[in-house]
Amino acid sequence: MIPLEMFLGLSAVLFAVGAYGVLTKKNGLVVLMCIELMLNAANINFIAFSAFFNDVAGQIFVIMAIAVAAAEVAVGIAILLNLYKTSGTTDLEEINILRW
Amino acid sequence: MYFVEFAWLIPLIPLAAFLFIGFFGDRTPEGGGYVAVGAAALAFIMSALVGYEILSGTHGAYYENSIPWLTISNGVVLNFGLYLDNLAVLMMIFASFISMLIFVYSIGYMHDQGERKKRYYTKVSLFLTAMLGLVMASNFLQMFIFWEIVGLCSYLLIGFWGFKHPKGDKASVAAASAAKKAFLVTRMGDVALLAGLFVLLNAFSSLDYVTLFDPANIALVDQSTLALGSLLIFGGVIGKSAQFPLHDWLPDAMEGPTTVSALIHAATMVKAGVYLTARSFPIFVQSTDVMLFIAIIGGVTAFYAATMALNNMNIKRVLAYSTLSQLGFMILALGAGGYLIAMGVADGTPITGSKAFGYTAGVFHMMNHAFFKALLFLGAGAVIHAVGTEDMRKMGGLRKRMGITSITMLIGTLSIAGIPIFAGFWSKDFVLEAVMVVAEGSGAAAMIFMLLYILAMATAFMTAFYMFRLWYMTFGGEEGEASKHCHGEAEKVMAYPLIVLSAFAALSGFLILFGFNQALTFNWDGPGTDFVIGGGGYAMLDVLEKIFTSPFAYLAIVVAAAGFYAAYRMYNVKDVDPGRFNKDGESALYKLLQRRYYFPQFYDAIALKLTYPVALAVEEVDRKAVDGTVDGIANSLTGGSQMLRRIQTGYVQTYAAYVLGGLILMFVAIYLVGYLGGL
Repeated sequence: MIPLEMFLGLSAVLFAVGAYGVLTKKNGLVVLMCIELMLNAANINFIAFSAFFNDVAGQIFVIMAIAVAAAEVAVGIAILLNLYKTSGTTDLEEINILRW
Repeated sequence: MYFVEFAWLIPLIPLAAFLFIGFFGDRTPEGGGYVAVGAAALAFIMSALVGYEILSGTHGAYYENSIPWLTISNGVVLNFGLYLDNLAVLMMIFASFISMLIFVYSIGYMHDQGERKKRYYTKVSLFLTAMLGLVMASNFLQMFIFWEIVGLCSYLLIGFWGFKHPKGDKASVAAASAAKKAFLVTRMGDVALLAGLFVLLNAFSSLDYVTLFDPANIALVDQSTLALGSLLIFGGVIGKSAQFPLHDWLPDAMEGPTTVSALIHAATMVKAGVYLTARSFPIFVQSTDVMLFIAIIGGVTAFYAATMALNNMNIKRVLAYSTLSQLGFMILALGAGGYLIAMGVADGTPITGSKAFGYTAGVFHMMNHAFFKALLFLGAGAVIHAVGTEDMRKMGGLRKRMGITSITMLIGTLSIAGIPIFAGFWSKDFVLEAVMVVAEGSGAAAMIFMLLYILAMATAFMTAFYMFRLWYMTFGGEEGEASKHCHGEAEKVMAYPLIVLSAFAALSGFLILFGFNQALTFNWDGPGTDFVIGGGGYAMLDVLEKIFTSPFAYLAIVVAAAGFYAAYRMYNVKDVDPGRFNKDGESALYKLLQRRYYFPQFYDAIALKLTYPVALAVEEVDRKAVDGTVDGIANSLTGGSQMLRRIQTGYVQTYAAYVLGGLILMFVAIYLVGYLGGL
């Protein structure tokens, strides 16, 4: 039986990798992927606790989260596509039209 | 049903005319002139009906009806309503009557003014409204509101030609600056008046006449507070009635149309000050010093203003100075009569009959003056209208060309000069008698009143002199250069008011024999009783006996005749050259008088040396301290946000970093709180 701490450690590492990618990567697509990583780090936590406490609610939450994440990625990619059409790039360093 | 129940409609009639002419005046004939005349006539008829009821004593000494208007937190209620007694209805009747005649005359006089007629009739209607509201008010606050509207209207009307003057831009500037002067100078008095109202409100917790004039309430108030309040209120009178030293706006006010001068001098504006003095008598008579002060101001103004009329060449200015002088007479009479009453109040002796004399004299002279001064101004207006100049040196010989005007003006001149049987004789004699009654007493005050009596006598002489000088220079002798342009008598609509007014100027003096004396006395039957206007006074024969057995009455007649004779020799026969007395206009005194005792320069000097630096300093404080604070707050906000907006880089990853950083900080904080708190 793998102890709970292992799962939590994996999830923390995965989250840190995702957060690092979100903050540093220039390409919008990669940033979206990194967000998925962070999301799934949270999902791993859910499943681990669900198994640990013998409570099925956590697994249902995960299914919900995956469904929402799929929709969110669809929206995110749509935005990114439009951005690419109008500005010709997905480089986040180039896109700062929302500032003062 | 009584007429007084509808008295509140009286000021509303000219107010309705004001609104109607203001909006639709240009669609009616003569720019709304007939509407104004009709409103004034209706106001006069209603005033006369109400006046009949009040004067016949149907409602006792006075009729009062008020509704609460403002309630101040500590139970002080300010009312809005009517207070009608003999004094108020007298003012209402003659103000509306004379205004009506002046409006009729205006239809002829202002006929050529085109689109401006609407503006003119709008303003004069408001003027009449304000004056009626002023005299009918039931308390000092309401009176003060109308007092200010009267001031506003005089400003608007004096500056009537403040732009596009028929005589060019220079005249426009003069009119505008005269209007400004009238407004600002009277404002100085009004500040004092307002302060006086605060003093009284603080002392009485009310401003209602009924409360303030109740001897029981007056007895509860400190004497010095009353004296202070009285003097401050009289400060308002000094401004409004153009008494020394705030008199200088009145001669300048001649820049307005002549009909406006007539209105201001006869029916409204300056009469408001005399009315206020008479109205506030129950409070003023609590102090002999206040009354002495009032009498001195009146006497000095009468004399001082008359001297300036002696050598003026402008027909309207001479009349303006004579108004100042006659207003001084009224104030002097009120002060002298009030002084006697004040002495009676101090001793606790009842005051009726001969002691209430000065009050009657002042009010009587105010009424008579309204008639003959309206007449003189309207006559002067007819002359100016006909010859196109105000300079009397260019007139002369108009008697043949303007018959009606010359005769009516002569009646006005005889009246103001105090020639027997004409109105001015009776009231001026009453004024002089009232001063003499006090001067016959003993003590230092009697000496002062003796001096004032001599000044008044000298004024009577000068009045007769300068008025006949005016008449001879205008109507007598050979024709002047401007007289040749005269196209004859004024049109009928201007001549009829002159005729009506001349009848009153000649005959209104006889009212003193037929009840005026009883109706307008100021009576007090000793401690514990109310001050009452009306009742008592002399009967007809007593008045006649009093006047014609007094050597001073004959002295006054001789003095007036001497003034007439001097003017006759100098300006009609011309065997005495007036230049002999003033080195042909080169003497220092002549120049002093012509420069109005340097009073305009004095005002200017005050304004330049005192007011202007103060204003500059205030402006400096305003700019540096007040504006600085406001701007500083605004600048620090804009500067701060300039810096803060750098945070908004627009890079989505920066924001994500902030969020993450915040999250971490929050976790650390929660952990620390939990750890340190021992959870």
